[in-house]
Amino acid sequence: MEFDLKTIEALAPDQASLSAASKLTKRSNWPRLEKNEALALMWGECQGSGSNPYRVVVDTGDHGYKCTCPSRKFPCKHSLALMWIAATVPTSFTPADSTPEWVNDWLGRRRKTTPPPTQPASGAGGKSIGEAARSDESTEVEDAAAVERRESAQRKRAEETRSSVSAALDEMDQWISDQLRLGLAGFVENSSDRCRRIAARLVDMKATALAGRIDEIPSRLMSLRKEERPDAAIRELGKLVVLAKAWRAAPDDPELKRLVSTSETRDQVLASPHAVQVESTWEVLGEKIETRRDGLVSHSTWLLDLRSAAPRFALLLDYFPASAGRRSNAFTPGDRFDARLIFYPSRQPLRALVMDRRGDVSSGEWPAVASSEPDPLTTHLACQDAAPWLTDCPVMLPQGAILLDDRGAPWWQAAGDPNGIALPINEAVSPTLLGIDLAATAALWNGSRLDLLAAQSNFGRLDLS
Amino acid sequence: MNELEQIGLATMRDCWITGGASFDLAPAAWREIGGGSDADEKERRLLAIAAQALEIALRPAAPSTLKRRPPLPKLAFPMLPDRLRPLARAALKQAADTRGKARVVTLVASRGLVLHPMDWMPSASDQDSPDVYAPWVDWQAGVEGQSHISQDRLAAQNWDDFYPAARRTALAEMRRREPASARRLIEAKGSDEPAEIRLALIQLMHFGLGPDDVPFLKGLAADRSGKVRELAGRLLARLGQHGLPGEAGGEDPVTELAAFISAGKSGFIRRRTTYTPVKPKSPAQDRRRAELFGTCNLVDLAVRFGVGETEFIAGWQFGADSNADISFARMVAASGSDAAVKHMADTLVAEGGRPALFVLHLMPRLDIRRKQALIRLILKDVTYLASLNLLEAAEAGWVEWGDVGQVLQALRSAVGGSDDGAKRTAHNLLEMLGFLATSATATRLIDEMVAAGMPPAAPSLGLLRLNAALGEYQSESRK
Repeated sequence: MEFDLKTIEALAPDQASLSAASKLTKRSNWPRLEKNEALALMWGECQGSGSNPYRVVVDTGDHGYKCTCPSRKFPCKHSLALMWIAATVPTSFTPADSTPEWVNDWLGRRRKTTPPPTQPASGAGGKSIGEAARSDESTEVEDAAAVERRESAQRKRAEETRSSVSAALDEMDQWISDQLRLGLAGFVENSSDRCRRIAARLVDMKATALAGRIDEIPSRLMSLRKEERPDAAIRELGKLVVLAKAWRAAPDDPELKRLVSTSETRDQVLASPHAVQVESTWEVLGEKIETRRDGLVSHSTWLLDLRSAAPRFALLLDYFPASAGRRSNAFTPGDRFDARLIFYPSRQPLRALVMDRRGDVSSGEWPAVASSEPDPLTTHLACQDAAPWLTDCPVMLPQGAILLDDRGAPWWQAAGDPNGIALPINEAVSPTLLGIDLAATAALWNGSRLDLLAAQSNFGRLDLS
Repeated sequence: MNELEQIGLATMRDCWITGGASFDLAPAAWREIGGGSDADEKERRLLAIAAQALEIALRPAAPSTLKRRPPLPKLAFPMLPDRLRPLARAALKQAADTRGKARVVTLVASRGLVLHPMDWMPSASDQDSPDVYAPWVDWQAGVEGQSHISQDRLAAQNWDDFYPAARRTALAEMRRREPASARRLIEAKGSDEPAEIRLALIQLMHFGLGPDDVPFLKGLAADRSGKVRELAGRLLARLGQHGLPGEAGGEDPVTELAAFISAGKSGFIRRRTTYTPVKPKSPAQDRRRAELFGTCNLVDLAVRFGVGETEFIAGWQFGADSNADISFARMVAASGSDAAVKHMADTLVAEGGRPALFVLHLMPRLDIRRKQALIRLILKDVTYLASLNLLEAAEAGWVEWGDVGQVLQALRSAVGGSDDGAKRTAHNLLEMLGFLATSATATRLIDEMVAAGMPPAAPSLGLLRLNAALGEYQSESRK
């Protein structure tokens, strides 16, 4: 490993990056650190503030680097932290004979146009690695009065937020009543403008999460056929009413708070006594990356618990600004790994964080799906009973196949039941899929359409996301 | 939800769509829940109940006419193992066109495996993919519910039991083994088929083409399809038969083409006749000459100059006009007899140099030995490496390390250098070598290229990586 602290100091874009990097040099932040000296490469996965780990690779030969985080600083704090660990504790890196696929992808795309390795510059533009390390070590000791003042300010802010959100929900209720009075036909026609206006008001009144959800209603409606939109509008607005009522009844409930105002931080989830932890083997079912109207990109990674007898899902959800450009995926569909996940406290625990990832595994079967169950949406119904404000629910469908209707739209239908329940699919499917018998299909059901994630079939595992 | 609730929900829904209060229309039980509050709150409560009822109790109505495609057939070869699928997908992604993708498919099939259907599927009109994919071609063509895939020997009685691609594969195989039986079958059943299928059937006659086929091919002079008549004429020309009478009117195309060629003499001691293309006076003339080469047969042209096919080829002055040379080579490939094709290939490959590259146009007509001789010749001369991109109908996985020794230095310097043009050529060549090389050669080539400065995961090494991995997989399977 050819790194010294002076080189890192010279590479760092500013002092703040160095200080941030110093906080990430703890081994616990890095579930995976590997190197291949023959190829002059080292790489790792850093558990940042998001649900998905950031993947970092550094070329020790020419000091090239790549990180999947959305930072606009180059190198980012994760790349700097990886170099820092290499310079100070090189034994942290496990030697690897081969490079992972994502490292290969980066190598394949990159053009080595960078000049020869950065030489440590004297002074390094006012950046100091020593200062960064010291700032990390020094923890300010607050006096009791300061703690009291800080906590009091926090309580006051929380109280203000609560009353602001309460007012926001009142305004939303009034807005929903207005839509009913004016007619849902008009609402469906003008949903884009109407939702934008109320969403902007809700943001001002600190109901940020709710605003984001309302902002997405028009695109959810438009994805349906015209005749289905009024029913969908009733469902969307009715769920908002239920959510508002539930929040008023329990404004401190973490799940409701998350859906109405803001989400907990990673540290808060880790510290929560109500957060369920599950240690298991997980398979990455698929990913959904959607650009939202509020300028954020939501990146959902769906996992399946391979050790659970009944299908159990987990969702790793991250948001990042669309302006940060396309982000590399943290996982590849079909990846399997052992990990401990912690679920955000919720009536139907689904959103999770990776606490501790132990390594990749190659084998693992999907849990058996009860084909005797008459309704493939039983889990969705249970989910709605517990939390009727939820929209999307992961389901494991039993043996079935994809069929086409007269308009060429795809439907999933259970095997051996030509007159039985059939569920419409959100998007066009590969024509090849129409000839494959599906032993089990993992999908998201949003009340109107299925979003396929993955399936097991007589042709093996199929990536459908 | 009971019937009253369903009716109530439908009425409330209609009311909300147009706008207004629906409280009085709601089912009694729902009114009870919604009551005791102001008018807006009552409506919101009903909305929440209606939303939950729609979510839980109602499902999108499935049309009664949902159509199920027949199951995708399993193929005769096993599927590429899961761990090799990313490599195959990467190679397919890197392939710039259909020919590139066909190379990936052929390479995998040459190792006794098939691609996963979600990674690659032949098109419904595919006639170039390996025969093993015929059931998928038929599945794509969507001839559902009419036939089953028959494992029986093809005969007139079970003709309709075979899907078109499976029938084509069976007929090709029969033409190789029993050409007369296959011909009789095509004769008996072909006339009932539409022109497009008839043409595909007649194309199969080139397998095992022999003098016995002449009467049948001559009989096609009266076929309804112009394309079938033209193809029959080409096949007859390969058998040394003069072309079928042309369309009435206009100048004889062979005479017109002959006017573009001048016969001369060369050599002092052994005088021999030469045939040199006349320089066209305009681009229009150049195009017309190309058209004529495309429609005339070699045997007719040679006779027009009073010689046989091989004499005419021997006298052709390659190098005088590149466009004419290409058209001429294509004419030989399309209508030359087997002897003429072999003569041209052997002569040009023996002489080497640039004219040997025209043999590339004859590839589909050459036997494996001659194909390999041509490719080895090209691999020996770095000047002509780029022409490998024109390679068609080559066999996969036979180029040994000794064959690439000559081009290795050129590849190394292109990969390590800064000339973008040379790099592009090198990358194209590596893709082609990924198809042609044995697994051992592929492995060594990857190592050499990485040592020369290429990133180990460079996309242009994709086919070589797949090739090498297929070799490893086969050795593991044998253990």
